[in-house]
Amino acid sequence: MSAPDTAAGVAEFRAEVRAWLAEHVPAEPLPPWTEREGFDLHRAWEGRLFEGGYAAVDWPTEYGGRDAGLRRSIAFAEEYYRAGAPERINMGGLYLLGPVLMRYGTPEQCARWIPDLLACRTIWCQGFSEPGSGSDLASLRTSAERDGDHFVVNGQKIWISMGGFADWIFALVRTDPEAGRRRKHDGISFLCIDLRSPGVEVRPLTMVDGTRGFAEVFFTDVRVPVGNVVGEVGRGWAVAMSTLGFERGAVFGDHAKFSRDVADLAALAGARGLDEDTHALDELGRVLVQTEVYRANVYRLAALAEAGGELDSTASINKVFWTQMQHDIFDTGLRLLAQDGAVVGDPGSLPGADAATLRAWSRWHHRYWYARAAMIFGGTNEIQRNIISERVLGLPMEPRR
Amino acid sequence: MTTFDQDRRQLVALTDDVLRAHCGLDHLRARLDDDTAHTAALWGRLAETGLVSALVAEDHGGAGLSPAHLSGVLHSLGRHAVPEPFLETAVLATSVLGALPGPVADTWLPRIVGGDALAVVRLGELTPFLPYAADADLLLDLAADGSVRAFTREETEVVPVPSLDPLRPLARVTVTGEGTLLGSDRAVVTRTRSLAVAGAACLLAGAAQRLLELTVEYVGVREQFGRPVGSFQAVKHKAADLAVMVDMATAAALSAFDAVDDPDGASRAAAAKAYAGDAAARANVDALQLHGGIGFTWEYHLHVWLKRVMGLAATYGTTTALRRDLARELLARVTEERRG
Repeated sequence: MSAPDTAAGVAEFRAEVRAWLAEHVPAEPLPPWTEREGFDLHRAWEGRLFEGGYAAVDWPTEYGGRDAGLRRSIAFAEEYYRAGAPERINMGGLYLLGPVLMRYGTPEQCARWIPDLLACRTIWCQGFSEPGSGSDLASLRTSAERDGDHFVVNGQKIWISMGGFADWIFALVRTDPEAGRRRKHDGISFLCIDLRSPGVEVRPLTMVDGTRGFAEVFFTDVRVPVGNVVGEVGRGWAVAMSTLGFERGAVFGDHAKFSRDVADLAALAGARGLDEDTHALDELGRVLVQTEVYRANVYRLAALAEAGGELDSTASINKVFWTQMQHDIFDTGLRLLAQDGAVVGDPGSLPGADAATLRAWSRWHHRYWYARAAMIFGGTNEIQRNIISERVLGLPMEPRR
Repeated sequence: MTTFDQDRRQLVALTDDVLRAHCGLDHLRARLDDDTAHTAALWGRLAETGLVSALVAEDHGGAGLSPAHLSGVLHSLGRHAVPEPFLETAVLATSVLGALPGPVADTWLPRIVGGDALAVVRLGELTPFLPYAADADLLLDLAADGSVRAFTREETEVVPVPSLDPLRPLARVTVTGEGTLLGSDRAVVTRTRSLAVAGAACLLAGAAQRLLELTVEYVGVREQFGRPVGSFQAVKHKAADLAVMVDMATAAALSAFDAVDDPDGASRAAAAKAYAGDAAARANVDALQLHGGIGFTWEYHLHVWLKRVMGLAATYGTTTALRRDLARELLARVTEERRG
């Protein structure tokens, strides 16, 4: 981990980021990434971020990052959201796979995959869940049978974010069913698979709001080189668990995104003439307070991390909090719009509103549904509550197999 | 770890040691039996250890520390339900007197440092009732226009009111004399309000933390259907949700108190207190629910903390009032930005 940032160093970096974003952020917002055209534009934007040196500022310099400490990483995120820059489509690859490769990957694997990952020349997706294995992820059944120097993969993965646009998938597969029968977490491997391999079929999933940002992937006798296993064969569970912290907590700087969402919420209330409506003030105040609390928590965790503390036990607490807060923000917006909440993004709901507010409203329902998804993905909030009660509070275990 | 962090950690450890020894359940029980909260003995201990004078400048006999040294101490005081006006005297009054030097400060600061005088601070609408006023020797009244006046005991009329939390007695105070003008400085009033609001948030977070601890301990040993009730998901998930709120409230409260001198100190304090009030309300409801009948008894001590969080939540700004003020500020700012 890099050295703690000095206040002056952070301020200088912040100014540099702000100037770069002011020059490069597209004036017109990009179309949603959930359709091909929008996705390609977002991908091009990730490329520009990479060229500017901003794809992953906290990554070590040896892998193409800037070795930015936590304070600079937070400053980058704050500036990014403040500038209204496009949604990041490469975060999953950068922070779910990247750290795994750096920690468990061979030098050859790192050299082969990391540069294209960082530059967003390759889009990676995560293949963990299966139709029968959600919260009980370790019950997964997609098999990978050894055949010479290849594995032959058969099975199905589901709820794959950006699966319809991805080039590669990192998946959990069962390489040793015998070991799995003794202990289900054993005999699982972390395998990288080129989605263009013969026998792979990607089917986009149309989600509840009609968008197609997710997919399911079917594997039929897909041959994958043994060298594509990350970490030890049969020990993939530990490798996979090391990535979950990202989805659950350690996303430093995303508080700025929520603060921006709450500013949009205030603008919606203002455009509806609710400035003096005590009910609206109560609702707005509640979510505003949550975002302020979350910001304080981000800085606390950063300080904890700088002091060498472990963040694993905070990840579940963080995940429950931010996902509920995010839901509260978008749910509140729909309720403040009252009967007009039943109409998706209608500018007529906000007469006289400025362009930024109308844009926020046009995306509101989509963001609302995403917020619902967030309480489910990355380990449902109910699973997080099990983790918190057992591992943080020390309450007795549930009986489980 | 920096020296500053080490100092803070040592202060919290010191506070915990003193409170474990001198402010355990037996002390709180005795106070309830006597119908008194403050005692010269416990206050004397807090003074002896230097906690009461931590914020007082060295030339007045204090340690000259910054508020940021005391956030964890306040959290610990809340956890132990300390029945003493530490926030009022050792944080608010010492800060006001330190900021407005003169004969009043020269007279009273040494007495406070020695543990021989208690002072309370009136902050307009934030303090319709003053905690521990009946025990106080000095009242500092901070008006919205920035003027600060000191009133001695003889210049006030103190009428105790029945306090929900008997270990945090309240009174209505009317001033009968002229008092002494210490000075007029809006910045002092703003800062003192932030200290009060963020300080109360730290106390609340600590008290809510104790409710969580008592509850986790109880459901871990109480058995029904042949197993600890804490092994049932219905119970575990309630406890987990409470743990989330208490943890977040603690993060916000401590950082708001530490940042009281930042440009956004007032709004951070308000957000922290608003959320701590929410977390404490959740702790109040769930702690009793998960304890079941035992939590209702006078004999068991849960009520000490149930009442502590209720009393503190109603003091130094309620969640509702603070949220509305913050929402108004945000609306004004966003309207301004988007118009421009």
